[in-house]
Amino acid sequence: MKKRMGSILLSSLLTMFLLAGCTGDNEPGNAEPAEGTEPAVQALTEIPLPITSEPFTIDYWRANDAKLTASLNNFGDMAAYKEKEKLTGIQVKFTHPPLGQQRDQFNLLISTKELPDVIYYNWADAVGGPEKMIKDGRIIRLNELIDSYAPNLKRIIESDPDVKKQIALDDGTIYMFPLLKLDALKLNATSGLIMRQDWLDQLNLKVPTNIDEWYTVLKAFKEQDPNGNGKPDELPFTGNWGPGNLTKLHDFAAAFGVIGGFQLNGDKVEFGPIQPGYRDFLETMAKWYKEGLIDPEIMTNDGKAFDYKVTSNLAGAYQGGVFSGMGKYFNLMRDTDPNFNVTGVPWPVSPDGTSYATFNLENKVLSYGEAITASADEDKLKYIVQWMDYNYSEEGSNLFNFGIENDSYVRDGEGVKFTDTIIDNPNGLTYDQALASYALSIMDGPINQDSRYLDALLFDDGQRAANAEWMKASSALTLPPIRLSTEEVTTSTSIMSQVNTYLNETMTAIISGQKPITEFDKMTETIKSMDIERAIEVHQAAYDRYQSK
Amino acid sequence: MELNRSRGIEPGRLKPAGKWSSVKKELVRNRYVYLMLVPVVAYYLIFSYGPMYGLLMAFQESYNPIKGILAGEWVGFDNFTMFFESYYFWRLIKNTLILSFYSIVFGFPAPILLALLLNEVRKKWFRGAVQTISYMPHFISVVVVVGMLKTFSSLDGGLFNVIRDFFDLQPIMFLAEKDMFRPMYILSNIWQGAGWASIIFLAALSGIDPQLYEASKIDGAGRWKQLLHITLPGIMPTIVIMLILRMGAVMNADFQKILLMQTAPTYETSDVISTFVYRSGILEGNYTYSTAIGLFNGVINFALLIIANAISRKLNSTSLW
Amino acid sequence: MKQSIGERVFDVFNTLLLLVIMILCFYPMLYVFNSSISDPDQMLRSRSLMLIPEGFQLGAYKSVFQDTRIYTGYMNTLFYVVVGTAINLLMTSLAAYGLSRSDLMGRKTLMKLITFTMFFGGGMIPTFLLIQNLGMVDTRFALIIPGAISTFYFLIMKTNFEGVPISLIESAKLDGANDFLILFRIVLPLSKPILAVMMLYYAVDHWNDYVGPMLYLRSQELYPIQIIMRDILISSSTEAMGAGADTGFAIGENIKYATIIISTLPIMLVYPFIQRYFVQGALIGAVKQ
Repeated sequence: MKKRMGSILLSSLLTMFLLAGCTGDNEPGNAEPAEGTEPAVQALTEIPLPITSEPFTIDYWRANDAKLTASLNNFGDMAAYKEKEKLTGIQVKFTHPPLGQQRDQFNLLISTKELPDVIYYNWADAVGGPEKMIKDGRIIRLNELIDSYAPNLKRIIESDPDVKKQIALDDGTIYMFPLLKLDALKLNATSGLIMRQDWLDQLNLKVPTNIDEWYTVLKAFKEQDPNGNGKPDELPFTGNWGPGNLTKLHDFAAAFGVIGGFQLNGDKVEFGPIQPGYRDFLETMAKWYKEGLIDPEIMTNDGKAFDYKVTSNLAGAYQGGVFSGMGKYFNLMRDTDPNFNVTGVPWPVSPDGTSYATFNLENKVLSYGEAITASADEDKLKYIVQWMDYNYSEEGSNLFNFGIENDSYVRDGEGVKFTDTIIDNPNGLTYDQALASYALSIMDGPINQDSRYLDALLFDDGQRAANAEWMKASSALTLPPIRLSTEEVTTSTSIMSQVNTYLNETMTAIISGQKPITEFDKMTETIKSMDIERAIEVHQAAYDRYQSK
Repeated sequence: MELNRSRGIEPGRLKPAGKWSSVKKELVRNRYVYLMLVPVVAYYLIFSYGPMYGLLMAFQESYNPIKGILAGEWVGFDNFTMFFESYYFWRLIKNTLILSFYSIVFGFPAPILLALLLNEVRKKWFRGAVQTISYMPHFISVVVVVGMLKTFSSLDGGLFNVIRDFFDLQPIMFLAEKDMFRPMYILSNIWQGAGWASIIFLAALSGIDPQLYEASKIDGAGRWKQLLHITLPGIMPTIVIMLILRMGAVMNADFQKILLMQTAPTYETSDVISTFVYRSGILEGNYTYSTAIGLFNGVINFALLIIANAISRKLNSTSLW
Repeated sequence: MKQSIGERVFDVFNTLLLLVIMILCFYPMLYVFNSSISDPDQMLRSRSLMLIPEGFQLGAYKSVFQDTRIYTGYMNTLFYVVVGTAINLLMTSLAAYGLSRSDLMGRKTLMKLITFTMFFGGGMIPTFLLIQNLGMVDTRFALIIPGAISTFYFLIMKTNFEGVPISLIESAKLDGANDFLILFRIVLPLSKPILAVMMLYYAVDHWNDYVGPMLYLRSQELYPIQIIMRDILISSSTEAMGAGADTGFAIGENIKYATIIISTLPIMLVYPFIQRYFVQGALIGAVKQ
């Protein structure tokens, strides 16, 4: 499989370089002079350990994580970071804002003159985006530093054109060491449509593959009393964390060849809800709603209500994640109802024969990453960069994905298995809390997430099957991670805030039957009058720029 | 020093020859009062007026922390026009005003009534118990309250629908009915806040001279007459001031609560300025835009307060200044 | 005591009505309290009104109290409440008295300027920068000084002071008292009810203040109970889980409720002690003098 090739390639490259470049002299020597700058530096080919003999401390700001705080106070206490400090000789002082407050605290932090050396953040949340952060001189451009001092990341960027496109801003600037998911498909396909397998078994039905089969199955759930209590109380399809509207049903839109927002048609950017396919989508959903196949409270369910519906055997199908939508309920129902079984349903096939996903499964570079600020000491920059690059070396990657060998994990052929310290933690921690005290993979951080960690945590067959099924969908309808400039963002947001309010209101009204399907034409008219074309133009321009990177 | 603090001579005041001498006389006469006001004025200058330059952000494109506010990009009224021209502008204003208006009409008298009823209770222990318990809901966070509302509104077994069933009515999704939003919002506000707000009226009630009650009893007045002629007039100044202040908060809809309660089917009645802007994602971290909105709200609130104050002064000489 | 029938009927209705109100207002606390001692798995599967707890466990409280930060949290909150409220009352009284004097020159203008600040402010960042420039970030002062006067409460207090009979003040002045004496010996004692209310409102505001500490405090030793509670609360929810929020574990609802009880019960119990100030006749004594 892909990941195996990737790791074999990476390890053979690494070995080659180790053998070839091993001259015992790892410090940058004097080599070909660069164009008129300081004495040139020969690019590193691997990270020396320790990185430097003059110890110093990096001031590091990042959000804390509830999984880690279950047992530790600070990321510096994590086993992986402690080990890294030993190996690299560089100390780190982590500062965390109160849990959940990182957005506000980041905005405050950014407005002060003195910044910490390194900030790890979800840069998509930064107002004005990373472009503005660079423009305002808050964080620095890393391209040259990566070139000279970050061999591992550099290798990844140069060997993968997708990463090259996704990691840089439109003008080519690389500004952070990102959270990478090179094995994108596997790692991203961790959520999708989920259904009660035991109900299917009971009613002798197969997992639906297209919309018509969905209709049959949902109808059977509604009419044939699969929960066996004699009451027609089944909710064939429901949802969690109600957004106050029915946009959760957009999960089914892909089956009609549209998605509920901006979509891609070949190389053209379109707005899904004004396409003819959306009309068919609305019509079918309205039919399902009318016949009671959709839980009307899907609009308002909160976590408590949803948990109640699943564990009380009322919910037949819903959209969720392998852990929060499957593992959680397996754990809850194991003792009380051994028949309980859920499975992942593949994305329904659309009229053109392809099954599309509603979100981009091929995103390799996420917007989370660590950046170096303008306050960092210039002399130390090269060490900081090496320190960051260590995470992407094989050793660093194993450390930050799995923890300490023979302590938190053991090798298992090509893969890994977590030890009892993680799976059956003696201090009563759940496995994700235990793993969080060792590694970053279970949370988020500047690493290449190794899909083997996921494999080691999917305990139920149902989860593994779900992941495999969801990987099969095509992301062709979804936009890649394009970047909008600050003006484009302003234009787009002011248009889309009205469009989205209107869309949500209208699609909810049509599906719930308050307005007839004929309202669709009026809807497209109105959206067009809200200047959607301009928003589409803006996105198209951004897309074209992305493609040409 | 003192001269700086007395900002301007009051209009209409006779200025005898020698303006400074009359000012000096005044300062000496009331010197202790001025002394008292020194820390107060310093406080307002530093902490309220100091940061006010931030209001300028309303006219800017974006905020650059290094260069500071004065160096920001000026876009004049762009932020405001972006707001005024949005498709939903009028609906948002309308909803904000109506929600506030109904809140005042129904929500304002509730604590007063509660205080009056409590005042009529003879047994001190009962009165104390009700008082203490009545303000408990104030301490429950709005998230929990809305969670309770959701549980009560659930289609299958929720309290509200059970009551509907009792009257042979079909169950409805309360949170998805646009006509239900305002009543639910206002009633739950009263439930949560009336007890707490009644405290100030209870304090006012205790400031009424009991001799007045004694005297009226001798004149043969029953409780009802006492209420009309002693109690109500006695707390009227407090009521009026609270009302004026309330008018000055008309544009401040309770953003968090509405956001939690609203659903798309109820946007027509529930969407207010702050929730619309929040959902559009513009608000978060976009200080220039949110400052502009805040400025707009502030202007309207202030204007309403001044009007309410002026009316009150004409009607019954109670006013803020 | 002679009462007409009408009055007696009214009393009955009044009592019943207040009883109903009391029950309605008590219910949320009951709900929260019962939820905090209920068994989370049982709570998951039921939709009840929580009139009695579902199952019983004290685990939520145990795990919350295990966090030693609670004790410093309470101590800090106590500090902010006591010191903060004292300063509030002092400053607000000075302001209210000073501006209740109708013969003060520039009074109207000053009033307008102060009221103006209720509606317009610089916003989060300029205020933060100011606090930072004053060196108050991450100090206790940041929670006590910037909020020293609430204009809203000030206006209420000032209006109340204006209700003090002018004759009392004049006669005191004739006796040679200066304004400070008048304020502390005459006006304040006469305003016990309003002072009690202000004290309660300010104290509760300090107790519940969570935005201030969030913005200005960085060291854990200075955190008040609200922040610590919120930390614990969020630890048991998915809000704080960044990109790894897909977790396979049911979050204990009961912890959420336990934190509410722990963070609100103490302040709720303060009121009964203040009640004695809401007693009629505060003014009589003075007039008789």
